[in-house]
Amino acid sequence: MSLTLENFPPAVIPPHAEALRDEVKAFIAEQLEGVPPHVRARSWAGFDADFSRAMAARGWIGLTIPREYGGAGLDPFARFVLVEELLAAGAPVAAHWIGDRQSAPLLLHYGTEAQRRDILPRLCNGELFFCIGMSEPNSGSDLASVRTRAERVEGGWRLNGQKIWTTYAHKSHYMIALVRTSGTSEDRQSGLSQFLVDLSLPGVTVRPIMIGTGDTDFNEVFFEDVLLPEDALVGAEGNGWKQVNAELAFERSGPERIYSSLVLLDLWARLLGDSPDPADAARLGRLVSRLAPLREMSVAMTALLAKGESPITEAALFKDMGTEIEQQIPAEIADAVATRPELATDPELLRTLAYLMQLNHVFSLRGGTREILRGMIARGLGLR
Amino acid sequence: MNEVGNFLAEAFCRQLAGLVTPEAIRAVEDSASPGELWRTLDDSGFADALLPEAAGGAGLDLAQAFPLVLAAGEYCVPLPFAETMVARSMLAAHGADVPAGAAIVLAGPSAIIPCGRLAGYALVDRDGVPTLVAAGGSGSDLFRTGAATELDEGEVLATLPRDPDAVLLAAAAVSAALMAGAMARVLEMSLRYAGERQQFGRSLGKFQAIQQQLAVLAEQVLSTQVAARSAFTGSAFDPIRVAAAKCRANEAATQVCNIAHAIHGAIGVTAEFDLQLYTRRIKQWQLAFGSESYWGARLGQARIAAAAGTTADFLRRHLATGSE
Repeated sequence: MSLTLENFPPAVIPPHAEALRDEVKAFIAEQLEGVPPHVRARSWAGFDADFSRAMAARGWIGLTIPREYGGAGLDPFARFVLVEELLAAGAPVAAHWIGDRQSAPLLLHYGTEAQRRDILPRLCNGELFFCIGMSEPNSGSDLASVRTRAERVEGGWRLNGQKIWTTYAHKSHYMIALVRTSGTSEDRQSGLSQFLVDLSLPGVTVRPIMIGTGDTDFNEVFFEDVLLPEDALVGAEGNGWKQVNAELAFERSGPERIYSSLVLLDLWARLLGDSPDPADAARLGRLVSRLAPLREMSVAMTALLAKGESPITEAALFKDMGTEIEQQIPAEIADAVATRPELATDPELLRTLAYLMQLNHVFSLRGGTREILRGMIARGLGLR
Repeated sequence: MNEVGNFLAEAFCRQLAGLVTPEAIRAVEDSASPGELWRTLDDSGFADALLPEAAGGAGLDLAQAFPLVLAAGEYCVPLPFAETMVARSMLAAHGADVPAGAAIVLAGPSAIIPCGRLAGYALVDRDGVPTLVAAGGSGSDLFRTGAATELDEGEVLATLPRDPDAVLLAAAAVSAALMAGAMARVLEMSLRYAGERQQFGRSLGKFQAIQQQLAVLAEQVLSTQVAARSAFTGSAFDPIRVAAAKCRANEAATQVCNIAHAIHGAIGVTAEFDLQLYTRRIKQWQLAFGSESYWGARLGQARIAAAAGTTADFLRRHLATGSE
């Protein structure tokens, strides 16, 4: 096995998907009017339930979910267009983000009919927000070592354990949790299953974690003898690892892996004016030249997803490069604005830059670290 | 969409595999002359692939011709095959006569003209007018690839309508695609070597540190290939697409060569080992026809001039597959 250009066949976003773009742009312009760049720069980390419900009212949550389950029945290309516009503008998508991107496709593919009927319409309506329970205090990159355990009991499952770094668990209704249902950590990928956990159940405790910037997006989530109904199991028992990996192809292939610093880049580009210093123009152009093939790759992977394929290795390669450029943009702009320290810098540019400079180092952690991704690429290259 | 191009590229690759062997490349380098190789290549007709069928070509557009250029890079064709293919089509588009069998280099502004010593003709830029001249390369052969630092220009054979950017764009686009092709081969060679070479009782490819480097190598190669593919769109080279492609290829070149040679160790630069045939050329193209800062500045200016709402809009309108 190897990775070649054939893994990223040239793809064009079809007209039916492009047709959505102007409407999305108009919606964003209206919704985000007056929202300053340093707030927009939160991008897919920005939580705004009202914004998400306004999107749901337009039918834009669960775009790829069939109509019979409350979705729009469109294809991954339409979702690409929608998401690209939202991210490029820095729309606060976090409330519905996980549910839309991962939980809904997961339930659609692996859930029971009852789960689909129960959950998907409310997810698409913007009534239910989701979070992902993967990491644990002793299971970071080594995800297969999770210890949170669900045991069969009469009428369902009893859940015990702890998840951590769970983004927006404190504002979510459900968690899709990866937990052990048989064996021990030594059994690695086998014996893992996914559960739909109602976070309002007795025994669930969500404790926000404050980070140094003062933000509290992250949480610890504790499970103490939480009784889950029989139908909380998602997919087949023991199939959790495979399901999680299919989910990660969605998580890693989208434009959110290249656009997290775009609001900053565009603010800086605008402030450069019509006749920029050639060094600044070159800096801008070099960043654009790295983004361009990545967007092409993301469109190519969207086409693969639309065909029902699961481009896992491709997505790893794309995300590793994408988060690198997302990290590089604030670094380059920090260098650019302080090239002449005697000159004043636009205050809003500084605020936006400072926000991203404090967080860009973690862009390569969420959704699989650089080292894990490179290991996956190496596997794709036939090295392991 | 690109079936014709892929079909021809497969046939071309079969021919190159037998024809452009490492021995053949070394023979051109050692003799500093095209020898019989050019005639055989030219007789195959692939260099006319961009010409209309009525003119004896295959009527390919740039996107269809891209796999051929990539293949020329992958096989390290030591002669100006891709350059000639593009030059012939630029000349034919304006009805200019081209001497039969002519090997033509694209002599845009550059410190070195790759293959300058191995072609009898050059498409040069004369005060903004692309001009076909009889030309011989001279000066230093800095990379031992037959490149020239000077061109001795002779008779003018044809002039094209004024277009001050045309020769440079074509030269940079072809270079970026040849780099992308050569990089793909460098990746392949590095993977093979990492599987064969044993140290500390294991093959190199079993070491995590090496795996991580090879992953980075693959990333750089693939993004360069995607960027180069995007430059081969439509009927003529677009400045924004070429800027993005050459900038990306140049930025990747250093890391690609660093990693490939790190994997190979000292053997990689020896005359008897093939890797250096590719990496010397990648470095030669890196130096030719504008650096990452030059093309970056042009691309940055274009981004600002476009006054697109967001950079995502700019990418979509100017650099995406299918956009014009």
